[in-house]
This record gives sequence, structure tokens and C-alpha cells, in this order.
Amino acid sequence: MPDHQLIIIGGGLSGLAAGIRAARFGLKPLIVEQHSLPGGLNSYYFRQGHLLETGLHAMTNFAPPGLKHAPLNRLFRQLQLSRKEFTTHEQIESEVIFPQTSLRFSNDLNLLCEEIAVRFPAAIDRFRALVKEVDAYDPFAERPWQSARAFLRSRLADPLLEDMLLLPLMVYGNAEEDDMDLGQFAIMFRAVFLEGFFRPSGTIKDLLELLLAHYKHFGGEIRFRAPVAQILHEGEQVRGIRLQSGEELFAAAVLSTVGIPGTAEMSGWPLQASRYTGRMSFMETITLLPELRLPPERSGKTIIFYNQKERLAYHRPSGPIDASWGVICFPGNFHGMLHDGPAQVRVTNAANYDLWRQADEAEYLRLKEVCGQQAGAAVRKILGDCCQHPLFQDSFTPLTIERYTSKCAGAVYGSPVKIKSGKTPWRNLFIAGTDQGYLGIVGAMLSGVTIVNQHLLK
Amino acid sequence: MTRDDIKYLILDIIQDIDDEAEFDNLDEDKPLRDQLDLDSMDFLDIVMELRKRHKLQIPEEDYPQLATLMSCVNYLEPKLKDA
Ligand SMILES: Cc1cc2nc3c(=O)[nH]c(=O)nc-3n(C[C@H](O)[C@H](O)[C@H](O)COP(=O)(O)OP(=O)(O)OC[C@H]3O[C@@H](n4cnc5c(N)ncnc54)[C@H](O)[C@@H]3O)c2cc1C
Repeated sequence: MPDHQLIIIGGGLSGLAAGIRAARFGLKPLIVEQHSLPGGLNSYYFRQGHLLETGLHAMTNFAPPGLKHAPLNRLFRQLQLSRKEFTTHEQIESEVIFPQTSLRFSNDLNLLCEEIAVRFPAAIDRFRALVKEVDAYDPFAERPWQSARAFLRSRLADPLLEDMLLLPLMVYGNAEEDDMDLGQFAIMFRAVFLEGFFRPSGTIKDLLELLLAHYKHFGGEIRFRAPVAQILHEGEQVRGIRLQSGEELFAAAVLSTVGIPGTAEMSGWPLQASRYTGRMSFMETITLLPELRLPPERSGKTIIFYNQKERLAYHRPSGPIDASWGVICFPGNFHGMLHDGPAQVRVTNAANYDLWRQADEAEYLRLKEVCGQQAGAAVRKILGDCCQHPLFQDSFTPLTIERYTSKCAGAVYGSPVKIKSGKTPWRNLFIAGTDQGYLGIVGAMLSGVTIVNQHLLK
Repeated sequence: MTRDDIKYLILDIIQDIDDEAEFDNLDEDKPLRDQLDLDSMDFLDIVMELRKRHKLQIPEEDYPQLATLMSCVNYLEPKLKDA
């Protein structure tokens, strides 16, 4: 007899959601997490008395309670969490800023339409038609890869508008470089422009604690500081796992949320690792300020997506970071958020994993310093001097992401090639999370739920 | 279980799945999914809850028999007579 019906590798958002779903229906799962905290890519740490979040600029897929078919509400029902008791704060307004022009958007699609009507008058009717088309598109049907850029080119016939719409969608959920799959584009377009950004009240810590308590309430078990070294198998079946400590645990099924390359390494799955290793990684700098004084034209913004070149270069940069485009997020600028404590600004830029990897310790620290200054200079062009004299500043790099999540090469969005079925060569080993194809916080959780429904509950 | 017990069981399960479900105007002979705006994921949960609560295994080909409240009662009555 195996010790467990289900072992889940990884206590990130997909692992927790999968665990809740399995435990709710009596599967008695065990989650094994290498770290001392849950959350994976979306977690938190403490420095100098401040709680700092990793990830969670905003959650996508906003939906008010009551809209039953919205992904967010469907997720809550699946996890048996009360949507009504979950307080959400919608974004105020975000902006895509290019040298040529800018576009504001909020959770009300009308704002984006008005902006496009003013700045791209020739394209507004085409944009409205595109919205209808994307809304009707089924992104979950299995189809061959299709270019989102080719689609946008044929529908909008405006390369600048195309780049401006793609920037937020790519930076919040594209594992590929330069282009993205049309299905993934449709998922992100709905998640960002049709549904929108919000934050739960509190921090990611509160959300993780809510999920963990719910998981335990259903009888789920979790072990921290339990890195998995190997997935054990025999013939067509996996038997369980071996922890780095040497301890072996047996299970009727194993669900891995550590990504395709990591799962392959632990199981000996023969696949071409390079094909499944993403190239997009990021550096993020978190700055705490006594107060946020934005220039008037930017005040009250929630997220700024900027590009300081003519065209968008969504690919791995040739230097350690590319500060010419990126994201500036103000986690305090959501409707109805309480402001106590310092104001936060988070800046994210694309980074080159290899260059960070090659650096020795002294060089790594120097890079952090230099790149932090580059990011700061880019931000000053947009926000003026508002980020001078920080109370505190810290940044994380592709190596930090790799170290804390085991995402191969620090690739936040995982493999450019996804395995939507969640299946592996072993009948009872499945994958969920980033490399199954759903991205972001809501996406990762839906992935965990979907894989448990499809393969473990039926 | 009596037919009424089974009816309340189903309603209780649906309430558990969707805390916003409204039963005031529910027509027992019309599909539950349309009236309550449930999707296929929710529907699977009715089956899962029956399994959890009463150890009932419902094969996939029988799912259509759970379409309306009345058809649920008819289908489950023999299976739950000793419950
Ligand atoms: C800087 C940054 C900002 C982001 N911002 C947002 C945002 O604002 N909004 C949004 O929606 N999404 C955001 N994301 C994306 C989001 O965080 C991810 O899509 C999502 O959290 C992925 O969840 P996951 O469960 O698939 O993977 P992970 O979170 O990576 O979970 C995998 C887990 O497995 C564990 N693990 C790995 N290897 C082992 C092993 N051998 N043994 C045991 N455990 C192991 C890891 O420690 C980790 O906890 C952001 C990501 C980053 C990095």
C-alpha cells in the first residue's frame, strides 16, 4: 500500500489549489515543498522589519461576485472558498507609455476604447471587432501554434498599436520571445483588458495563509523544507518520491508543479531540456518610500508599462538587463486600499539569465548595483525624482527566482512549449502549474484544479 | 432515504458547491444547470459530493440522469433506499 493517494511536489499556487481540490474530495494529499514558506513565485520575505512580496503586482481576471462563469469566481467555487467574503480592490488606472503615444486602461473596457479612438482613430472600429473576436475565441481547444502578431497585424494593421497592446500581455504571461501563441494571447487579453487587475486586501501572505488553512481544514498535509530529489518509477507507473534527505514516500499518483525541466530531471524523463527552458527572466527592484509623490499626469496610476524605444523588444536582452522597457507597479494604488506604512514602487525589467549566472559573487553584487541604477534612470524619465531617498531598496534577479522556485534559468513563465494535457510518459505522474499552460496567480490555481479534475478525481 | 430526503440532499450539495445558488423559483423538471447557471465543473462536483457523502460511484454515462431535480430523485432513490 502506498503511504499517500497523492503527493504534490511544490507548494506554490498551483500545488496549493490542486491540494485543496484533492483534499476536498477525500484524497488525503501530501504537499512537499522545498522551502520553509508556501507560495513559490508568489511569496514573501522579511527585511529590516518590512514584509516584502515577491510577485503579486496585481491579480488578473477581476470579476465581481455573482458572475458565475468568470474564471475567478469559478475558481473560488471549485476550491469552496467564499467569493463574497474575499475582499478585492480593483485597479485605479494603468497606462502603456511608448515614445510615440500612450494608452490608459482600467477594468472598464470603455476607457481603452476611448483612448484608442483618440490616438488611433483609423483603428478603433477594427479594435472593437477584435474584442468581439477574442471574446468568442476558445483558447482551451487544442490547436497548432498560431502567431498572435500575425493575427493582430491582419486585424489592426497598425504595428504601434499592436506593440502597445502586446506589452502588458507579454510581460504578464508570455514564455516565448517576440511573439506569442494566439491561444495564450486570447487568455491574457481577456485576463487583463476584458476582466482586469485587482488585489486582495492584505498581502500575498494573507492569501497564502487562507489557502493553507483551507487545505488543512480538508485534511491535507504539507511538509516544508522537504526538497524532492527523485521521482521513483517502475515500468509505466511512478511509485513515489525520494527526498534529498534520502527518505522515500510512496503514492498512488504524483503531481509535479516544478515545471517540465525540473520534473524531467527528477524522473529521468528523456526530453530535450533546451526546448522546454524559457528564455524570459526578470530583475525586480522594490523601493519603499516615506510617501509616494507622483507627477500630476501619473498620479493615481496602478501599473505603468513603458517602452522607450520605437518598437517593443520582448526577448532576452544582450546585457544583464534591458531597462528600456518594463513595468512600474504601485501596489498601494488600488481602489479602497488602506495606506499605512511606507509606499511601495516595484520595477521589473527583462534580464539575461546567463550573464547573471556567470558572474562571481563580487561581480553579481556589482551587477545588481549597476542594473538597479539603470532601472532607476529609466524610471526617472517617466516619474521624475519621486523615487529618490528610499527608506529601503532590494532587488531580485534571475538567480533569485531560480534559487527560490527551481524555475529552470529563472524563467518566470516557464517553458515556451506547454503540455496542456498535464500528462507525462508515466500513467500516474502529472504536471500542473506554469508549464501546463495557465499563467499568473489565477491561472496557476486553475491549472492545479483542472489537472486534479481531469486525471485524479474521475 | 425518502424522495424528499434525496431532494434536500441534492439541494444541500448544490448550496455547498455554490453559496450564491437561489432555489426560490426552481422548476423540478427543468435542467438544473440552466436554471442555476452551473457549468460542467460544478456539475462534476455534484457527482463528487455524492461519492464523498454516500460512497456512490456514478458512471459517466449516467450523468445525464442527474439533469433535473426530479430525475436525480428517480435515479438515486433505489441507490439510496438503505441510506
Ligand atoms: C517577479 C514576479 C512577479 C509576478 N507578478 C505576478 C502578478 O503580479 N500577477 C500574477 O498573476 N502573476 C504574477 N507572477 C506569476 C505567478 O507568480 C506565477 O505564474 C504563479 O505563481 C506560478 O505558480 P506555480 O505553482 O505554477 O509555480 P511556482 O510558484 O514556481 O511553484 C512551484 C513550487 O515548487 C517548489 N519546488 C520546486 N522544486 C522543488 C523540489 N525539487 N522539491 C520540492 N519543492 C520544489 C518551489 O519552491 C515552488 O514553491 C509573477 C512572477 C514573478 C516571478
